[in-house]
Amino acid sequence: MQWQLCIRLIVISLIGCLTLPTQAATRTYTLYITAGSLTVNGNGGATLSAWGYTQVAGTPTFPGPTLTANEGDSVTITVINNHNINHNFKIQGVTTDTTAIAPGANRVYSFTASTAGTYLYYDTLNNNINREMGLYGMLWVGPADGSAKAWTNGPAYSFQRLWVVGDMDKPRWNDVAGSGGSVSTSVYKPNYFIFNGKGGFDAMNDTATTIDGGVGQTALVRIINGGQFSYSLHFHGNHIQVLTLNGVRQTSPYKQLDVINIPPLGTADVLYPLNQLGEYVMHVHTAQMETANGVYLNGTVTMIHMH
Amino acid sequence: MNTSSIIRSAVVSLLTLITMTVFSVANAATINLTKCVASMNKTMSDGASVNFWVFGSGGMSCSGGTLPAAAIEVGVGDTLNLTLSVMMAPMEPTPYNGHTIHLHGADVSTSEDGVPDTGASVMGDTYTWTPTAAMAGSYMYHCHVHTVKHLEMGMYGPIIIRPKDASGNFLNQITSNTATAFDYVQNYVFSTVDPAYHTATGDSTVFADYNPKYFLISGNEGKTTSAPAVTLAAAVNKKVALRLIGIHSVNSTFQIKDSSGAAKSFTVYVQDGRAWPTAQSMTSLDISPGQRFDVIFTTPSTSGTWYPQITYKKLRDNAAYATAYGKVTF
Ligand SMILES: [Cu+2]
Ligand SMILES: [Cu+2]
Repeated sequence: MQWQLCIRLIVISLIGCLTLPTQAATRTYTLYITAGSLTVNGNGGATLSAWGYTQVAGTPTFPGPTLTANEGDSVTITVINNHNINHNFKIQGVTTDTTAIAPGANRVYSFTASTAGTYLYYDTLNNNINREMGLYGMLWVGPADGSAKAWTNGPAYSFQRLWVVGDMDKPRWNDVAGSGGSVSTSVYKPNYFIFNGKGGFDAMNDTATTIDGGVGQTALVRIINGGQFSYSLHFHGNHIQVLTLNGVRQTSPYKQLDVINIPPLGTADVLYPLNQLGEYVMHVHTAQMETANGVYLNGTVTMIHMH
Repeated sequence: MNTSSIIRSAVVSLLTLITMTVFSVANAATINLTKCVASMNKTMSDGASVNFWVFGSGGMSCSGGTLPAAAIEVGVGDTLNLTLSVMMAPMEPTPYNGHTIHLHGADVSTSEDGVPDTGASVMGDTYTWTPTAAMAGSYMYHCHVHTVKHLEMGMYGPIIIRPKDASGNFLNQITSNTATAFDYVQNYVFSTVDPAYHTATGDSTVFADYNPKYFLISGNEGKTTSAPAVTLAAAVNKKVALRLIGIHSVNSTFQIKDSSGAAKSFTVYVQDGRAWPTAQSMTSLDISPGQRFDVIFTTPSTSGTWYPQITYKKLRDNAAYATAYGKVTF
């Protein structure tokens, strides 16, 4: 009896050590909003007028800078509008303030990162035009201890990939809004499908986008859709396991799918177990979305390398 | 069908039978099929003719091509050797000449995956897959060359992985779980057609904008309940399984409604060839491009007609394009 109690005490203290909360950090970000351009390279590609965020005043990046925090961290984001029209800033499921920030003004957003997961930040103003022009990006929140798990005591991963997908209608939206014109938003026929700020030809070779690792590893893929079209993503090589979908944490055992549909403003966390050698594709299964202005595979496509 | 093609199919069936008998080990069959590609003109409901490329059977000459292609049924543990012959096949000019077969959802190795961009031959090959028990459910085979056009052209068909009993016969169940037993089963293959994609070739700007005009279930329009795309004569108090296979290029929602328009419940057991951890009953199911669901519903105790139906919706805002209807009588 005493012996058992002893063991129990040792186990309890061990667990105590392992789960000892790490010190909550303070995360401070500054995002500048400016006009710039996004270039899709390769056949079918083009340079599109775009509006985006940067962390130091200057040329915006697409998608917006990735924001990260662990559960419990205090996050402060200052958004500075260096553009010539109103903007705002909302993190879906995290912040609610949608007050407009006038040209030249700034606004501060503070919150405590409360739930591990993947979030979309974006500009909600101007009838989707501000978002379509490129004003969106990802916030991901890890467990409090910063471990490589989807959430505290959740599924573990070997490495993660952040996928931000979106779309742009160059002739009817970007060309018009970029030159100060008025977009007729009832028509939207996107001819560019942007994957981590790139066309498919680049996304297939971008090591920050491709799933690349050894057999036996597991990738956590965080996906957000800043576009206005649904993305029906099809994985070759293996099925994924769906951990969260549109902010809803799933329970184990997780659904195993080879296609996941991410609606506009949708989010997902999926595991891709690297289970066999080879080279595979991951692509949207929707006709024109695989193209850049009709040029095949310069759309929403990337590669999976298992070695 | 002419005499020579009848003889040819008889010979092919005999050869298949011999192959299956010779190579079957412990009730695991080897299924050798040869597919080819044929051009087919189809007259649509508005009288317009649309050219399709469809999978048929045979190597030297191509027969039996349909939209969608004939379903391939494979038992759990069986080995499928699916050969594609591109002799005489209609083709695009380079760089999108030739065709492949991709076993969509099969997670086969790179050499069997049929993707030209990862090294697949576009001039014919054999694709091999041995599905396991956990993989029972619905899949597709489709061409993976210039898919923005070749899928649209009609190069797709269902693959159904079926559980088997101890003697090697197919079980009338979706999976080895007896809760998935059915009395009737039918494939619902969902696809959409933009005629402009059928005439354009290469890296045309036509492929930058998708404007579907025809909305199909299993190759037919089924625009009204009185002219359904597919029909099934079932009986009362029976279980009907539907294999819902999405190869369309837009959003969609599947429902089953009775003759007064009330939505009826059905149960999803399998998605993308993997059993859901918990089966779920519902009256509405969104199906996106590439997804498959295996569902079962029970017919009521009094005779009547239900209409399984799919509403195709826009990728931007889910606004409806059109609804296509099937029909089940009991
Ligand atoms: Cu093809
Ligand atoms: Cu596919």
